Amino acid sequence: MSDFLLYLTNGLVIGVIYALSALGVALIVGMMNVVNFAHGELYVLAGYFSALFAQALGLHPAIAMVLGALSIFVFGLVIERLLIRPTYGNDMYSLIVTFILSIVLQNAYLLIFGPYPQKPPNLITGATDVFGLFMYGNQRLMGFVLGVVVIAAFFLLLKRTWFGRVVQAVSTDREVAALMGVNPERVNLLGFGLGCALAGAAGVILTPIFPVTPSIGVGVSLTAFVVVVLGGMGSFLGCLVGGVLLGVVENLGSAYISSAYKQLFSFVILIVVLFVRPAGLFGRRQT
Amino acid sequence: MRGWTAALVALGVFATFPLFLGQYWLHTAIVGLFYIMMASSWNLLAGFTGQVSFAHAAFAGIGAYTSGILAAKFGLPPLLGLVIGVAIAALLGLALGALCIRMGGIYLSLTTLGFSEILRIIVVNEYEFTRGTMGLTVPPFWGQYSKTVSFYILLAAVALVLWLIHRILGSDLGTSFRAVQNDEGAAASMGIPVIRVRVPAFVITGAMAGLAGSLYGHYLLLITPHILSLDLMFLVLAMTVIGGIGTFIGPIVGALFLEALSEYIRRYGEFHVLIFGLVALVVARFAPEGIVGLLSRWLGARLGRAA
Repeated sequence: MSDFLLYLTNGLVIGVIYALSALGVALIVGMMNVVNFAHGELYVLAGYFSALFAQALGLHPAIAMVLGALSIFVFGLVIERLLIRPTYGNDMYSLIVTFILSIVLQNAYLLIFGPYPQKPPNLITGATDVFGLFMYGNQRLMGFVLGVVVIAAFFLLLKRTWFGRVVQAVSTDREVAALMGVNPERVNLLGFGLGCALAGAAGVILTPIFPVTPSIGVGVSLTAFVVVVLGGMGSFLGCLVGGVLLGVVENLGSAYISSAYKQLFSFVILIVVLFVRPAGLFGRRQT
Repeated sequence: MRGWTAALVALGVFATFPLFLGQYWLHTAIVGLFYIMMASSWNLLAGFTGQVSFAHAAFAGIGAYTSGILAAKFGLPPLLGLVIGVAIAALLGLALGALCIRMGGIYLSLTTLGFSEILRIIVVNEYEFTRGTMGLTVPPFWGQYSKTVSFYILLAAVALVLWLIHRILGSDLGTSFRAVQNDEGAAASMGIPVIRVRVPAFVITGAMAGLAGSLYGHYLLLITPHILSLDLMFLVLAMTVIGGIGTFIGPIVGALFLEALSEYIRRYGEFHVLIFGLVALVVARFAPEGIVGLLSRWLGARLGRAA
């Protein structure tokens, strides 16, 4: 029984980070109908940056993490301006461009950072006794808490600020939002940057637990896509539910069925959802 | 008629390759032929029907592994294995097309991505059948292995595939492909069963990729999961995009050009993917018509007529 609870906890912890990562994808998809294939690569870059800042610059891991996520925000702004902006309205092109970008980044990482795993030092070490049932790593618990905090901050941003309102408006209907005086280019720029920053946040939170290598980006991207589809494109709440659900299913599945096929579960879920109920759990129909 | 003359001349030129190219460059040419088949068929799917599929490399892998396993484990003659490989690839194309039948754009691409990764994971893990990442050794076409023979077999296959693509594009099916690509709503209102166009597109291009994969496997004599990977998929995509997506010769030019280029770059290190990626980014961003588009504009300006 305590084994089961351990797997469940793993699933919840990683599920929250899946949700965070998926929010980044969902934001960009919702606002500009662009699927950012390079999402995972941004997660990885955040991990590299936080490791770099902590080790090379000797900064405290917490500061390194924040800086890491911020760097990804800036990088996202640059990407949007240079590459994504001309592809609006043409879905095929944004897919192709972000796919190429992800390959370029992957190879660049291999060249720049080398093939060995990198990670920043842990924020907390040691383990805690969870409800007297099992010992669980503190860094993971910290990761869970951080994930929840960032997600909460995001929802606060969305619901309570002017920028959040604009994001929701543009996600609902771009044209009407523009008619209402929203500057679509500025909003796109910031929205894309924010989406990337969320990927970066997921990256800096998880990297101390799972070190980054140049090739894990694809898995991160695909997992995020599965969560977004599962939760329903256009629904942020769906990302939360979908993320946690996927995390739990993956962990339980890999523990009880087969760990070699762990990645397979998410793809199977993706295809089943797309086939049976493309709108996902909470999504609205795509216009 | 001019197109046919050019094609025959090109074919003739290619046919002379084994006479003067050394073993190394002949190998490069053969790999180039493989990529011509892959890029052209992917172009038919993505460039002419608007379905950006990431499963293309997976279909090649299915063709290669089916034919390879049948030959290596069951002793089937490679030609028969090839036919079966193509058939299986076509069947999976049918499955994928049916799966994607109601989706467009993003959803379709994600599904093909998931499909491709599922296949790759299965192939890597089912070690007993596929020898996983260690690679499966397969026999060549005829008893004796010969680069020249392989070259001509692949050249014949390329000619067949390109001829088929040309015929399809000129046919009613091809027109409905393009209609669906341009505007699905308009196409549907014209009576084109959009849904039923997707499935043939996947079946036909899947079969072509399967053919390319089987031939490639029997040429390389060793099949690894790399043939199913997104890396290969990326090369195919980059070749099509850089050559000129949505044109007939674009993928051909792209495949040959990039394959030759990658051999030159290889001397300096394994940078070719990065460089291709950067070039592909620039092309996709600034010159979406690719090399072919740029060339035809330049030629048009030079010859003084409207491009």
